[in-house]
Amino acid sequence: MNNTELGDAGAHEADNPSVPAVQLTGISKRFGAVVACDSVDLALQRGRLHGLLGENGAGKSTLMKMLIGLVLPDSGTISIDGAAQTIHDPRTASALSIGMVHQHFSLVDALTVWENVALGDTGRLDPNATRGRIGEIAEQYGLAIEPDRRVGDLTAGLRQRVEIIKCLRRDPSIVIFDEPTSVLTPEESEQLFESLRHVVVAESRAVVLVSHKLDEVLHATDDITIMRQGRVVDQRRSVDAAAPSLARAMVGREVSLRSERAALGIHRLDDTDLDSDLTETDTGLDGNGLDGNGLDGNGLDGNGLDGNGLDGDGLDGDGLDGDGLDGDGLDGDGLDGNGLDGNGLDDTGLDGNGLDGNGLDGNDLREGSGATGDTSAPGDRDTSGTVPAVATTAPPVLRIEAAVAHGTDGLVALDEFSLEMHAGEIVGVAGVEGNGQRELSDVLSSLLVLSSGTVTVDGTPVPTGKAGAMARAGIGVIPEDRHDSGLVLDMTVAENLVLVDQSRAATRGLIDQKRLNAFAVEMIEQFNIACSGPNAPMWSVSGGNQQRVVLARELSQEPKILVAANPTRGLDIGAIEYTTRRLETAAASGVAVLLISSELEEILELSDRIIVMHTGRIAGTMARAEANFETLGLCMGGAAT
Amino acid sequence: MADFLGAVDEIFSSEATYLNGALFAAFLAFAATGEWVAERSGTLNISVEGMLLGGAFTAVLGYHVSGSVALGLLAGMLGGMLIAGVQAEMSHRLAADQFVVGLTLNILVFGLTGFLENQIAPDSTLAGRWEIPVLSDIPLVGQALFGQRWPFYILYLLIPLSWWLVYRTRWGLELRSVGENPQSADVSGIDVNKRRRQSIYYAGLTCGLGGAFLIFGHIGRFEDTIVGGRGFIAIAAVIFGGWTLRGTLAGAMIFAGALSFRLSIQGLGYDVNNELLQALPFIVTIAGMAVFSHRVRAPAALARPFIRGLR
Amino acid sequence: MRAVGGAGTAVGSVARPLRMARGTRLSGWVALYTMSILAALVLSGILVEATGSDWRPVVSALLDGSVRRPGRWGETLATAAPLLVVALGTVISSKAGLVNIGQEGQLYVGAAIGAYFGFLIGGPGPVNVALILIVGAAGGGLWAGIAAGLRYWRGVPEVLSTLLLVTVGGQAVAYGLRWEWLLLAPEGRRGNRNQVSEQLATDNRLPRPDLFGNELPLTVFFSVVLTVIVAFALSRTVWGFRLRMLGRNPRAAQRSGVSETRYGATALMLSGAFAGLAGAAMLTGGGFAFGNYQFVPGFSANIGWTGLLVALVAYEKPLAAIPVAVVFAGLRTGSNFVGSTGVESRITDVISGLLVLALLVPAAVMFLRDRRRARAAATERV
Repeated sequence: MNNTELGDAGAHEADNPSVPAVQLTGISKRFGAVVACDSVDLALQRGRLHGLLGENGAGKSTLMKMLIGLVLPDSGTISIDGAAQTIHDPRTASALSIGMVHQHFSLVDALTVWENVALGDTGRLDPNATRGRIGEIAEQYGLAIEPDRRVGDLTAGLRQRVEIIKCLRRDPSIVIFDEPTSVLTPEESEQLFESLRHVVVAESRAVVLVSHKLDEVLHATDDITIMRQGRVVDQRRSVDAAAPSLARAMVGREVSLRSERAALGIHRLDDTDLDSDLTETDTGLDGNGLDGNGLDGNGLDGNGLDGNGLDGDGLDGDGLDGDGLDGDGLDGDGLDGNGLDGNGLDDTGLDGNGLDGNGLDGNDLREGSGATGDTSAPGDRDTSGTVPAVATTAPPVLRIEAAVAHGTDGLVALDEFSLEMHAGEIVGVAGVEGNGQRELSDVLSSLLVLSSGTVTVDGTPVPTGKAGAMARAGIGVIPEDRHDSGLVLDMTVAENLVLVDQSRAATRGLIDQKRLNAFAVEMIEQFNIACSGPNAPMWSVSGGNQQRVVLARELSQEPKILVAANPTRGLDIGAIEYTTRRLETAAASGVAVLLISSELEEILELSDRIIVMHTGRIAGTMARAEANFETLGLCMGGAAT
Repeated sequence: MADFLGAVDEIFSSEATYLNGALFAAFLAFAATGEWVAERSGTLNISVEGMLLGGAFTAVLGYHVSGSVALGLLAGMLGGMLIAGVQAEMSHRLAADQFVVGLTLNILVFGLTGFLENQIAPDSTLAGRWEIPVLSDIPLVGQALFGQRWPFYILYLLIPLSWWLVYRTRWGLELRSVGENPQSADVSGIDVNKRRRQSIYYAGLTCGLGGAFLIFGHIGRFEDTIVGGRGFIAIAAVIFGGWTLRGTLAGAMIFAGALSFRLSIQGLGYDVNNELLQALPFIVTIAGMAVFSHRVRAPAALARPFIRGLR
Repeated sequence: MRAVGGAGTAVGSVARPLRMARGTRLSGWVALYTMSILAALVLSGILVEATGSDWRPVVSALLDGSVRRPGRWGETLATAAPLLVVALGTVISSKAGLVNIGQEGQLYVGAAIGAYFGFLIGGPGPVNVALILIVGAAGGGLWAGIAAGLRYWRGVPEVLSTLLLVTVGGQAVAYGLRWEWLLLAPEGRRGNRNQVSEQLATDNRLPRPDLFGNELPLTVFFSVVLTVIVAFALSRTVWGFRLRMLGRNPRAAQRSGVSETRYGATALMLSGAFAGLAGAAMLTGGGFAFGNYQFVPGFSANIGWTGLLVALVAYEKPLAAIPVAVVFAGLRTGSNFVGSTGVESRITDVISGLLVLALLVPAAVMFLRDRRRARAAATERV
């Protein structure tokens, strides 16, 4: 009942495969105390597209790095076409005809396209031959590119093109794609998968698609391997696979909460899972104690998911299933504004919520910062202007006006960008990576100076680029890359907790070790940070807990505005759920949350209002109710709305 | 003042000025060319001074043992590479701080050559002068460029060779990628630290040649003060040149011109500000960096050690 | 999943000593250091032997010169003091993530400016001494300030500018030593030298109290006090906290309100000020420039370079810099006695060079090990 095209693809295959192109047997790898891969077995067949699915941190990247020689396995064997091989370095891998399209890192900005493509080859350097080869590949796969452009001047999409050409030019028989869609619009992703299929079927290569997005893998691949905590937990053909069970395998338990689904990139689920989901949801909400809020969110989600249902197949009436779970009556709520009647959810302790939610339909709960702002019907929040009409009398807590900023490459990254935010609302910023989101977050972190334009917090202008000014004005930031500006890995957990404001641990310019420790212990408890103690070095703490440290610090500052840039990236499911919940709580308590994310599911799940960024401008603004995958996707590609 | 201008005019119309200038420039160019290659790979070797001195001493030693200038040159190359080897292996294999290693090497080589020179007292010589027909008769610069002792002419091979290596070979492409973005280079299958070590060895080779040239092509005997900080001027030339070979050589020539001018003007009995002239290469370089720092881009990973797994 | 995991070939080469060091914590360190130092000493010994001399008298002379002979350990400590002060400054700038390698010039310029004002203003002894020290520090700080200004206003890497400024400073001071209106002593008081400043008046010198037959200039005590202060400031004050933040992650610091320009420039200038202070202390504390309390060309006598090495060998830890400074000082004072053995005294340069290289090896190995561990952690549950 899944996807017809997958079924077709499967039909191409002979049922008894010959010698696999790649056979991994009993591969193990540990980093210190951490087991990254635990006796993993994996076989890749020629002419088939193999999806390697798993949460962030499941070990799939490490496994692939072993295949291309960036990591050496501790034990186990790698056989290529039946012959055992030791792959010491990427060069060996390339000699064995294994290529990888990297997510980051493999291009050198200062060099031209052809130089980048030639990098890592052997033999005499021949510019013209390289240029010629680029032309051939470009034609063959529809990946047009100018070989003499400097890579640093290219857009993210074009850079990925170079990355793919670089991989294909050696005509590898085994190709690994590592999370290829994160820099692409949904439409571009579709195109990519089309050419992928071409590469696989027509040229009989073995292709691996590494991803943490279940839906993407289910759609595009022939076989699926699921990894969790370093082990292979499930292997099956895509045609035989159903999203819910895959999700279960991936996470290790029922997947129910919306945020979790969003994290997995699922927007289709089967009816069969409805019941269990429903109960899970209830408890989830209970646990959160997110009155009104949680409910709102859910109700609204329902909408977006409806939208999803439409984006393609509408096969099993997904959309409705998807939300039906939490939603049910609540959906109705948000839209009708008529209470929780007859949901059956009332019983589960959501009464209070129900009441809250009652008078406030939809988004208004947050936007109205607690006021009963029923005045704004979804229709009002229209996409016409750059500054959406928010029907509140309260002045905006954050106002960005005509901001112009230049990126590190000197190009305009923010182009007359304007935005207003009110207390208690969650504004989602969608867009393909590299369209100014990073600069937006940098401006609000005092890391980037505006060439023109202003940032105003609570009516007071804040100088941009002045160290700490934004933080002092009340803007908390969960940065996209917490190692970049969020944490100091060489300092302790306690020190990281007071990074922004040492006053809570200092008297007259001296650090008071006791107070520092006390504060840290309090935070560690409150935020459930798993570490060996306040004095544990930050680098010794796992990614999810590092994120908790950032959260703990930023939230304990009691910010007026919280910028969350891809706050769940690289986290496992538990941490994602936790982070999401914290963001919702923050919004409920009146913090204006700016959620910058490249995961549409996340945006659709959390936001009250969504803006789409394209080339440093706002390409579209829409109320949550109007947004769905399709409209957002179009907008992200630069289509005017 | 008119007198002084007259003297300046005299200097600029004297062949000796150009001859001396070419000698100074050649010495700097040997060192700067190699250091340029090394800096393109993202390393900064303040041990250039030590490589030059070490090269000069082993060149003398080679001649002392073999009696042949050619073998002396070879020994000089090996000596330079030996010191480069310590720098390369310590800093780009063992990950010791490249400045500490460089500084220490300078002190070490200074002490070692002084010590050994004192203990051995090696013989030395000057190489024969080769006059290139016709070309050496060009007025003013003919002698300077085509009437030098033969080790001088190695430079005419070394410079295009270095350019070709860096811009036209795969090795050079990889070198540049390593200097710009070692992480990407690593992922592309290039052994970053190996390329860096190789580039330092290359710098050692050219510095060794430079030291040998100083002995056989210019001075004719070894003293521990013959390099006298010019290794640092060579580094300044690379920076001055904005990490291009052309600029680097221009820097070497300008700085050498200043040195030559100083000698000539003093020779004519004028008391110019000696200290200013000595400091000039450095002041010019600093000023150049200050003015052009936003236009001229150093290799992005210059002086940043690479350890796999660290960003 | 950004972190790239795995041991590459570059790391692989040290994998073996690395594992050994991990297995046996402290003893591993000790063994590693002992082996490296021994290797350096044996190499030096071979060098001496190879040139036809005996290594034993050299060692004996080194010991005589640095500690054994009467008054020598005082001399050694007196030499260690400026090394330590330079090293402290270097620690400060390193903590802020800056690479200052121009201490030699900063020290030289600082000492020269201190001397200039010392002679210019005069005044009663203690005041004058304090003045020289303060002005010396200010001079060194300003000299480093040029590099700081270039770095923060023009984006010139401080590594390069501080290095290049060493020579510029040297020439500037040499210029000063040519003119009587600057530093040069009047005609009759130059002795047999032509570029030399006047001598400091006796009551403008720091006292050198006698301790067990050794003259210990007050600079020794000052430098130890200063070490404790720096160690405390870096580890216990908000300022030190913010400085470390800046050094470890400038972007996190910028967001948190640590202005790179302000803190970085301060750190670089402080570093220069410490070097300048060391220079002024060398002048007022005596023991340098042939014990004449005067300023001469080459006054800095490599104390700046060596102090830099002390800081780096001590791994940027102020307290660890004390013993390291003493060892380096011992090699210097000991080398004065080596000449009498018939072995060229430059051998001590070689020994100290080899020693530094030897001391780098364990630290490098340990660094790699820590990094590996950090990396393993940073790859999270990959």
